[in-house]
Amino acid sequence: MSGDPAPLLELRRVTKSFGGLRSVDELDLDVREGEIVSLIGPNGAGKTTVFNLVTGIYTPDEGAIRLDGRDIAGLPPHKISQLGIARTFQTLRLFLNMTVKENVMAAAYGHTKAGVLRSVLRTPGMRREEREIERLAEERLAFFGDRLVGYRWEQPAYSLSYANRRRLEIARATAAKPKLLLLDEPAAGMNPVETHEMTELIGRLREEGGYTILVIEHDMHVVEGISDRVIALDHGEKIAEGTFDEVATDAGVVEAYLGSAGAERK
Amino acid sequence: MELPLFSVIDTIRQLGWTGFVELTRNGLALGSLYALIALGYTMVYGILKLLNFAHGDVYMIGAFIGFGVLNAFGGAPSPSLALLPLIVLMFLAAMLGAGALGVVIERFAYRPLRASPRLTVLITALGVSFFLQNSMLLLFGAQFRSYGSFQLGSGNPGAFEPGPLVDPLFTIVGVNVQMIQVAVVATSVGLMVALTLLVARTKLGKAMRATAFDREAAAMMGIDVDRVIASTFFIGSVLAGAAGVMFGLMFSQIFHFMGFLAGLKGFTAAVVGGIGSIPGAMLGGLLVGLVEAYSQGYLGGQWSDITVFAILIIVLLVRPTGLLGARAIQKV
Amino acid sequence: MDPERDFSELPEPGEPGSPRVGVDEWVAQADQLEERPTGIAGVLHRVGEVVTPPLRLALFVAFAATLPLWLSTGDLFNYGIFVLLYVLLGLGLNVVVGFAGLLDLGYVAFFGFGAYFYALLSSEHYGIHWPAIVTVPLVVVSTACLGLLLGIPSRRLLGDYLAIVTLFFGQAFVVFVNATDPVVAGKGLTGGPNGIADIDPLSFFGFDVTTRTQQYYVLLVAAVLVLVALHFISESRTGRSLRSLREDPLAAGAVGIPVNRLKLLAFAIGSGIAGLTGCIFGTVLTAVTAGNFDIPILITIYAVVILGGFGSLSGVVVGATVITVSFQFLAPENPQSNARLLFYTVIVLVLALLVRSWWRLALVLAVTVALGLSVHAIVEAVAPSWTGGAVVEGGRFADAIGNWVLIPQEHANFGNFAYVTLVVAVLVLTQIRPSRRIFALPFVAYLAAVVWETSFVLQPAVARWILFGALLVVLMNVRPQGLLGTSRVEIV
Repeated sequence: MSGDPAPLLELRRVTKSFGGLRSVDELDLDVREGEIVSLIGPNGAGKTTVFNLVTGIYTPDEGAIRLDGRDIAGLPPHKISQLGIARTFQTLRLFLNMTVKENVMAAAYGHTKAGVLRSVLRTPGMRREEREIERLAEERLAFFGDRLVGYRWEQPAYSLSYANRRRLEIARATAAKPKLLLLDEPAAGMNPVETHEMTELIGRLREEGGYTILVIEHDMHVVEGISDRVIALDHGEKIAEGTFDEVATDAGVVEAYLGSAGAERK
Repeated sequence: MELPLFSVIDTIRQLGWTGFVELTRNGLALGSLYALIALGYTMVYGILKLLNFAHGDVYMIGAFIGFGVLNAFGGAPSPSLALLPLIVLMFLAAMLGAGALGVVIERFAYRPLRASPRLTVLITALGVSFFLQNSMLLLFGAQFRSYGSFQLGSGNPGAFEPGPLVDPLFTIVGVNVQMIQVAVVATSVGLMVALTLLVARTKLGKAMRATAFDREAAAMMGIDVDRVIASTFFIGSVLAGAAGVMFGLMFSQIFHFMGFLAGLKGFTAAVVGGIGSIPGAMLGGLLVGLVEAYSQGYLGGQWSDITVFAILIIVLLVRPTGLLGARAIQKV
Repeated sequence: MDPERDFSELPEPGEPGSPRVGVDEWVAQADQLEERPTGIAGVLHRVGEVVTPPLRLALFVAFAATLPLWLSTGDLFNYGIFVLLYVLLGLGLNVVVGFAGLLDLGYVAFFGFGAYFYALLSSEHYGIHWPAIVTVPLVVVSTACLGLLLGIPSRRLLGDYLAIVTLFFGQAFVVFVNATDPVVAGKGLTGGPNGIADIDPLSFFGFDVTTRTQQYYVLLVAAVLVLVALHFISESRTGRSLRSLREDPLAAGAVGIPVNRLKLLAFAIGSGIAGLTGCIFGTVLTAVTAGNFDIPILITIYAVVILGGFGSLSGVVVGATVITVSFQFLAPENPQSNARLLFYTVIVLVLALLVRSWWRLALVLAVTVALGLSVHAIVEAVAPSWTGGAVVEGGRFADAIGNWVLIPQEHANFGNFAYVTLVVAVLVLTQIRPSRRIFALPFVAYLAAVVWETSFVLQPAVARWILFGALLVVLMNVRPQGLLGTSRVEIV
C-alpha cells in the first residue's frame, strides 16, 4: 500500500534450519510502528525461533531482517539490543542473585557510557549517570503499581513470586529504552486475575510507553484483548494473518491447533 | 628462539625409518595408557558434567596396589608366584582396588553435591586430588618405587638379566617390539572393545547413555541414577587402575606424583577427542601419545610437553568441542 | 461452595468486594515479614550492616599499619607480607571468577609472567636495570594484554572448556619457564629450574625499597589502592554488567551488555593485578623460579577466594589471612608447638560447629579427655612399649599430652594405620544420623589427636596439604559460599 511508512520490523524470506529440521521457512513478517501484533501457533511452530532470529541469538540461513530499514541479521545480540529491540523470555531469564532494582539498572548499560576509568575515579559525570540510571529503574518499576517498589527494590530477584518475576522481566526490557518490545508468552502460568492485568498492562505499554510490541501468546483471551493484528505460524510458515476474528476462524489455523477432525467439526 | 626448523628436519632424516617406527611404537604404547585414563574422564564428564581431577590419582593408586601385590610375592627378579598368574593377580587387585576407591570418592565427595553449581564440584575434585596425593606421600614417602620390570621373571637374582617382559616379540625395520609393549597395547584395545560393547549392547550401557543425556528424565524412566553413576565411576576407575599397573610394568618407576602428570595428559586426550565421547577419548589418547613420542624424539625432551599443550589449544580453537565431540546447541 | 451457584454474579477484579486473588498484600506488611537471622550468624549480620565498607577499610588499614611495630622481621615476612600478597592475588582472581564468573585455572601464570618479566627487565640476568617507575607500569600493562590474548579465544569456549584451556595455559607457562627455557641473547631466557636471581629492589625516585618493613608498606598501599578501585568498579555500571554476565550471559546480551567485551575486560583487570603482584613478589624474594607459580599456588589463591566467598572483597582479605596464617603455623620450619595449638583449636571449633551447644561441647571434650586418659592408662599397664614414644616438640604440654595420647615407641606404621583408620572413621561419621553422632565424636576426636602426634607432626609439610585438601572438600559440602559470600541461587 503506497503512502504507508516503512515497517519498524521487517522479515523477508527468513529461513532457519537445525540439523535437518526447518524451524522457520521463508517467513515474511512486518510489524509497523505503534502496532501490537500477536504471533500464535501450536508448539514447535517456530515462534520463539523467530524471536531468537530477530534478537540475534541465531543467524538466519537465508533471508533478511531489518529494523527501521537497517539490516540486523548477523549482528551480535547486544548490538541489536542497543539499536532498539528488547525481549522477555519464555522461560524467564532474570539475574536471580541480583536485586530487583539492579536487574533493571543492568539493562541501562546499552545507552550509558561511564567506563572503568571514570568509575574508579568517581567523576561527577559518572555519578550523575548513576543517579540517572537509578531514577530510570525506579520509574520503570513504578509502572507496575505498588508491587515492585519500596522495600522490594533491594530484594534479590529469586525471592519474587512468579507473576512478579514476569513483571520484573518486562520492566528490565523497557529499561533498555527499546523501540520494539518482544514479549514471549508474558501471561504463561498466570491465574485469570493476573492474566487480565497483563492484558491491560500490554495495552498501557503501548499507550504510555509508546513501544511497538510483538507478542507470542497461547492464551486467546489475551490475544483477543491486545492485538491490532494476529499472525499465525505452523511448521515455520505463516498460515494466516489479519485481525483476531479473521485468524481465529481461519480453517488452516483451526486445523493446526485442533487437527483435521477439529476442522471438520467446525 | 632456538628451534631452527632445519635442525628438526635434520633430526628426522638422521633417525630415519628406524627412528620413526621406534617412536611410533613408543607413542602407541603410551597412547593406549592415556586412552584408558581419558575414558574415565570422559565417561564421568558425560554423566555428571564434572572434570574429575582426582582420576589421575586413582591411576597412581592402582599402580601402587600392583606394586604392593608384586612385593607381597617377593618382587623382581624372581617372585614366588609364576609370572603370568602373578601379573593377572596384580591387575585384578589394582583394578578392583581402584574401582572401589572411585566408588567411595563419588559416594562421599561428589554425591552430596549433585545439585550444586559446577564450580563447587570442581573445587571439591581438586581437594580430593590433593588429599589423595598427599595421603600417599604421608603413608609411603616420596621415594620412587620400582617394579623392576626389566628383570621381572628372569629368575636370576644375582645377575642383572632381562626378563620375559622386555623380550622382543617381533621386529619391524630392525626395531624391537617388546613383549610388554605388545601386551599393553593389546590389553588396552581389549578393554576398550569391552567397554564399547558394554555401552552399546548392555542394559547398563543403555542406562548410562540415557543418564548422560538427561539425568532427570532417566530417573523418571525408572533408571536408578545413583547406581548408574556409581557404576560409571567404578568402570572408569577400573580402567585407570589397569593403566597404572601397565605403566609400572612398562616403565618400572612409580611415584606419588605420577597421577598428576598422566592425569593431565589423559585429560588432554579426553578433551582433544571431544569430552563426553568414548571413541573420542580413545582417539585422543593415541593422538596425545604419538604427539608426545614424536616431539620427544624430533624436538627434544624440553619441547615435548609444550607441544602437547599447543596441539590441544589449537584443536580447541578450531573445533571447540573436540575432534569427535558433539556440537553443543543451546536451546533458548 | 454451592456448585450450582451462578458465577457471573461475582464482582469483577478491582471492584469492591472482589476476591483478593493475585492482589499483593505483602507491600503493606513488609516489616513484619522480614526474617532476621538469629544467634551467632545474626550478630555477624548486624555487625556487617553497621560496619560499612569504608569503615571496614579504615579498620583494616589501621590494624595492618601497626603490624611492623610488634612483629619481628621474620614474622612480618612470613605473615604480613605473604598475607598481603595473597590479598592482591585473591582480589585479581575475584574479578575474573567472582565478578564475571569465568573459570580461569591458569591465573597463576599471569602472576608468574609479571614476576619473570620484571625480573628480566631489572636484574643481573641480562644486565638490564630499568627503573621501577618504567618497568612496573610496563609489566602491568603487558600482563593485562596477555590476559586479553588469553581471553580472545575464550569467546568461543563454553564454561568448562575455558577452564581446560586456561589450565593448560598455566601448565604451558610452567613447562616453558622450567624446561623449555629457550636460549635468547646467549642465555637461557628464564633460567630453567634455577629461575632468575638478583632481582633489583623497587626504587622510587632514588629511594630503594629494601627492608621488610618498607616492602610491607608498599604492598599495603598497593592492596588498599586495588581494594578501593575494585569496590568502586563493583558499585558501578561495569560491576553491574559483570554480575549480569555471571548470572546469565544470554540474558545480559539481550539487554544490551557486550558480553564478550566485558569478559575480556575482566580478564585484563584480573591479570593486570596479578602482574602487579608479580613485580612486587619478585623484588621481595629477589629471585623467582617456576615452582613459585605452579598448581599448588593456584589452588591456594582459589582457596583464599573460596573461603572468603566469591564476589566479596572483604572475604578475600579474611580468606587470605586465615589461609596464610594457618599455612605458616603448619610450616615445617615453625616450632610444632604452634602447629599443634592450631590443630587442636581447629578440632575444638569443628566439634563446636557439630554439636551447636555449649554444654554439649563441654561434655564431648570432657569425654574425649577421659577416654584418652583411660585408654592410655590401660595400654600402659598392659603393653608399655605402646606408650613409650616421645611427644615431638611438646613444649609446656609435653607431659600432659604424653599421658593422654597413645604414642608407641615405634612410630611409623602405627601412625599410618591410625591415619587410615581416622579417614575411614570420618567418612563413617558423615553417615551416622546427626542425633546419634555425638556418641561417636569423642572417639574420632581422640583418634585425630593420636594421628597428629604420631604422624602429622613428623611430616608437617605433607600434613598441611592433606588438611588443605580436606578443607576444600568439607567447605564445598558445608558452606560453598564461603565465610562472607552470599548463598547463590543457581539454575543448574
